[in-house]
Amino acid sequence: MITMPQFRVLQPENVSQAVEFLAKHKNLRVLAGGSDLVVNLRNKLFTPEYVLDIKGIKDLQGIKENQDHFSIGTLTTLTEISQNPFIKEIYPVLAKAAGLVAGPNIRNMGTIGGNICLDTRCYWYNQSYFWRKSCNFCLKKDGDICHVAPGGKYCWAAYSGDTAPALLTLDASIKIANPKGEKTLALKDFFVMDGIKKYNLESNEIITEILIPKASAGLQGVYKKFRIRDSVDYPLAGVAIAGKVDKEGNCQKISVALTAVNPAPVLVTEITDLLVGKKLTDDLVEKSVELARKTAKPMKTTLSTMPYRRHMIGVFVKQGLEEILK
Amino acid sequence: MSQEYQKTNNTDFSVIGKSAQMIDGTAKVMGTAIYADDIKLPGMLYGKILRSPHAHARIVRIDTSRAMALLGVKAIITGKDTPVKYGILPIGQDETALAVDKVIYVGQEIAAVAAITEEIAEQALDLIDVEYELLPAYLNADAAMAATDIFIHNDRPKNIEKEYHHNFGDIEKGFAQSDLVLEDKFSFPRITHAAMEPHSAVANYDASGKLTVWTSTQTPHYVHRGLAKALQMHPSKVRVIKPFVGGGFGGKSETFSCDVCSSLLSKLTGKPVKITFTREEVFYAHRGRPDQSVHIKLGMRKDGKITSVYVKTIQDGGAFCSYGVVTILYSGALIAALYDIDNIKFDGYRVVTNKPACGPMRGHGTVNVRYSFEVMLDRLAIGLGLDPAEVRLKNMLKPNTRTVNDLRVTSYGYKECVEKATEHSGWAEKRDKLPFGRGIGIGGSHYVSGAANSIVRGRMPHSNVSIKIDIDGGVSVFTGTAEIGQGTETVQAQIVAEELGLPLERIRVIAADSDITPVDLGSYSSRVTFMAGNAALFAARDVKNQLLRHAAEVLGESPEHLICKNERIYVEYDRERSITFREALISALEHSGTVIGKGAYTPPSESQGGRFKGAGVGPGVAYSYSASVADVSVNPETGQVRVNKIWVAHDCGRALNPLAVEGQVEGSVWMGLGQALQEEQIFTPEGLTLNPSLLEYKSPGAIESPDIETIIVESIDPEGPFGAKEAGEGSLAGVIPAIANAVYDAVGVWITSLPITPEKILKELNKQKAEQKKK
Ligand SMILES: Cc1cc2nc3c(=O)[nH]c(=O)nc-3n(C[C@H](O)[C@H](O)[C@H](O)COP(=O)(O)OP(=O)(O)OC[C@H]3O[C@@H](n4cnc5c(N)ncnc54)[C@H](O)[C@@H]3O)c2cc1C
Ligand code: SF4
Repeated sequence: MITMPQFRVLQPENVSQAVEFLAKHKNLRVLAGGSDLVVNLRNKLFTPEYVLDIKGIKDLQGIKENQDHFSIGTLTTLTEISQNPFIKEIYPVLAKAAGLVAGPNIRNMGTIGGNICLDTRCYWYNQSYFWRKSCNFCLKKDGDICHVAPGGKYCWAAYSGDTAPALLTLDASIKIANPKGEKTLALKDFFVMDGIKKYNLESNEIITEILIPKASAGLQGVYKKFRIRDSVDYPLAGVAIAGKVDKEGNCQKISVALTAVNPAPVLVTEITDLLVGKKLTDDLVEKSVELARKTAKPMKTTLSTMPYRRHMIGVFVKQGLEEILK
Repeated sequence: MSQEYQKTNNTDFSVIGKSAQMIDGTAKVMGTAIYADDIKLPGMLYGKILRSPHAHARIVRIDTSRAMALLGVKAIITGKDTPVKYGILPIGQDETALAVDKVIYVGQEIAAVAAITEEIAEQALDLIDVEYELLPAYLNADAAMAATDIFIHNDRPKNIEKEYHHNFGDIEKGFAQSDLVLEDKFSFPRITHAAMEPHSAVANYDASGKLTVWTSTQTPHYVHRGLAKALQMHPSKVRVIKPFVGGGFGGKSETFSCDVCSSLLSKLTGKPVKITFTREEVFYAHRGRPDQSVHIKLGMRKDGKITSVYVKTIQDGGAFCSYGVVTILYSGALIAALYDIDNIKFDGYRVVTNKPACGPMRGHGTVNVRYSFEVMLDRLAIGLGLDPAEVRLKNMLKPNTRTVNDLRVTSYGYKECVEKATEHSGWAEKRDKLPFGRGIGIGGSHYVSGAANSIVRGRMPHSNVSIKIDIDGGVSVFTGTAEIGQGTETVQAQIVAEELGLPLERIRVIAADSDITPVDLGSYSSRVTFMAGNAALFAARDVKNQLLRHAAEVLGESPEHLICKNERIYVEYDRERSITFREALISALEHSGTVIGKGAYTPPSESQGGRFKGAGVGPGVAYSYSASVADVSVNPETGQVRVNKIWVAHDCGRALNPLAVEGQVEGSVWMGLGQALQEEQIFTPEGLTLNPSLLEYKSPGAIESPDIETIIVESIDPEGPFGAKEAGEGSLAGVIPAIANAVYDAVGVWITSLPITPEKILKELNKQKAEQKKK
């Protein structure tokens, strides 16, 4: 097997202890379920001096009810989220997305926080040290060129998490702890359209909770994922949709988010603007498909091709809108 | 040892034909089985290998001094320490364990480090300085054949490893007599075995100068030969042991750099050394199915009779010969042994390129040509308005024939395979009758049940088994065969148990240790059940005859009238008279000590093929036959294919262990499914494998598995042990065209390159739509 780099492991028992460690150590990585981080460590994509293993912090697990939100602890596993009857009932889009991550054993390990903070992916990047060195590395790690868009200084690595688009459609936000205290950030402001920066999270911060507004409870939801193998595979294109129709059959609420086709998961707000208050027609479906396809800018970062991934985005938007609004 | 085959009219079996759990299964399921990487010896060091980042380059300078200075590093070797060339084929001695002078593919071994931990060994790799002078890289067969001055191997001008031109009958005459002739070009990507366990070797060169190597291999005997040669040691000083092996599928059929480098590092340091490849390194070791183009032309009369076939095929074999000459010959030779065809012309080219070396992979050599052939057969059938299954039945060989290229076919159950597969799948009710988007297709295939000629030509038996029985009453079966998960040890135990009339648990198999067990050529060409099975049968018969002599004395009967069954020895015509097996054993032991017997199998010369150049490859001592029917759904909006069910009827002669046969057939379906729909190795323009991981190399998982119905066809081979033939490879090649032909039945498009991806289907569907609009 490829070996691990060497680091020290820190195991805080509570959030304040975790924050102390974060304040003290600069070159540190947070470890939750480890299903993404450990692979990346072996590939020497990260060579931290410290690994902060937060798995032992009991407070960060489970689902709680607040005044306006339901709160999901960052360490809640994807298996739990996908199988929890309450989540399935009120946030079906999230349960479905969580249930389609990887395969069952990885869902048992993987946490929701880790899923949100997944590193962006590109087949020039998710490789061993030897491999990357053989082609002189790339912008995202250790190098100064992009093999996908040579000449550019921008990284197109695709954000490939499944739950983030679902959470975006539910208008979720995240709670972040840092040495200064706590803050809450809307998820849509968390992500950054840049394969290297990825998201707004400082190295001394951790996510503690995911907050989903009660206002989003009860929306119908679908999550559609294109991958080669249903047994286990990252999304190559994914669409999350949450919404509902009113008594007259008009669209009352609709939210469409894409994943795996850009360096960040994105809401296609134009579709919301287009559809709210209207009855879904074939023409509106076509227009929505076009809007989604325009938003999706997959680059040659995976073995599947750009046109096909974009095509699948369209297919999914059509299917999803028809399932929810018709 | 006499080679009298079992009289097959006897079907009153106790162990044979019964589904038996693998005798080594419990250890695997419980996690107690010891694989090469599980072995830890006192003082053991860990080895790591530095690999080339370039596809083709001269090595100007290697400086290991910085790496050597790293604390914990014990030894480093480079190409100058591994000058001796080796290779699996006598005509392909073109490899060294570490590159000498130049590198010829990305991932080629350059230096090996031994250190006290794996981490230190890996860190040391980064401290080895290598200076290269780049050479032009040839990354596909066309580019390689167009080379004019710089060649990958100096003795392979135009980078052609070998070309063969075979011409049997008169194809032009055949085409002239045809009512329809079609031709097309098919292309196939390179694919790999993806065995669960990576290659791994532990070497211990002890103070007495004896080398012991535990290695994950399917051919311990060839590794024994390879190591002795590469290390220039007397073979008696080399001991090769095969521990549990986690799959091979062809990918572990020769000596690998981990074997040679761990041995040399152990010799240098005086400590045991382990080298286990990472998954990525397994992709560089490769030896999988080559990238291949197949140009095929097929003629048919309107009654469905095949008239002529012409095949021109080019294989991009990668950097070394490996089994390549065999691969290209199989591509041609086995065109002849499935259907009755009078006229066959074959032009085959095996080309050297700057990519990891290809080698044998399940269905070795036959799969891509078989795909092309079976798809063309459907097209001809459709073109002539015939039923594809009927067309296959129209072209059957007869049992006990010699084909146009001098292959000896003995038992032949293909007809029954086609009949059973179509019957079970409801072919007649479904073909052409399913709604758009759903389809059913058929594909046929076959494989040698043991190559009749060994790799190293000679008159030595191909399999040897010896048996020892002592006072404890257990039967020790010593065999050189390599159990790699397919059940060779179980099947030999079953054969011995049956012959001696003992329950299976009385038999223990001691296998694959060159100091202890007799030579067997290894687990390749689906030879083990047939050849080692026969050797085990002959050995069992040898000890049985010894025991019967003593039983005869006690019973006052002649030994010919005695039979072994239920742990007793009976007088056949008077079952009232019997003694226990144990009584006979004690009597034999008292008379002359430990009961020892042996058996050996050598293929009959009639099976060994014709006289023309290249005739040595293709002859099997028998052939297995198989027909697959696939039921698929194709989503016309996305192009995605879902295989709903596959029926496979496989002729394995006699199913010695039906459970194991089903396991092999199901494995073949999965492997075929992967090649049909999703597997493909992809390279960067510089020759670096883009997807060297099981995440990005898309072998199907359990969820992708369709329902599989295995139908066992028993043609009872006259020479196989109890009539058995192979079950491990023959079905694979039929599965892939069955899927392609079903896709056509579903949506009316032909895909000429594998894998059949959703994108390719969509593209064809769009073309189809555009054409319909024009009309
Ligand atoms: C074979 C395979 C297939 C996969 N397929 C998919 C897939 O289909 N879809 C998908 O979405 N993912 C997939 N993954 C990725 C991964 O398993 C999941 O995303 C999982 O949810 C990650 O969670 P984790 O707890 O294991 O994260 P970790 O690996 O522990 O962490 C992931 C990243 O998040 C950071 N992090 C974790 N928790 C916090 C926190 N509380 N605060 C700040 N930073 C944090 C870590 O530092 C790290 O950078 C796959 C992984 C593998 C190995
Ligand atoms: S998109 Fe370019 S910079 Fe980003 S990971 Fe891929 S190759 Fe590197």
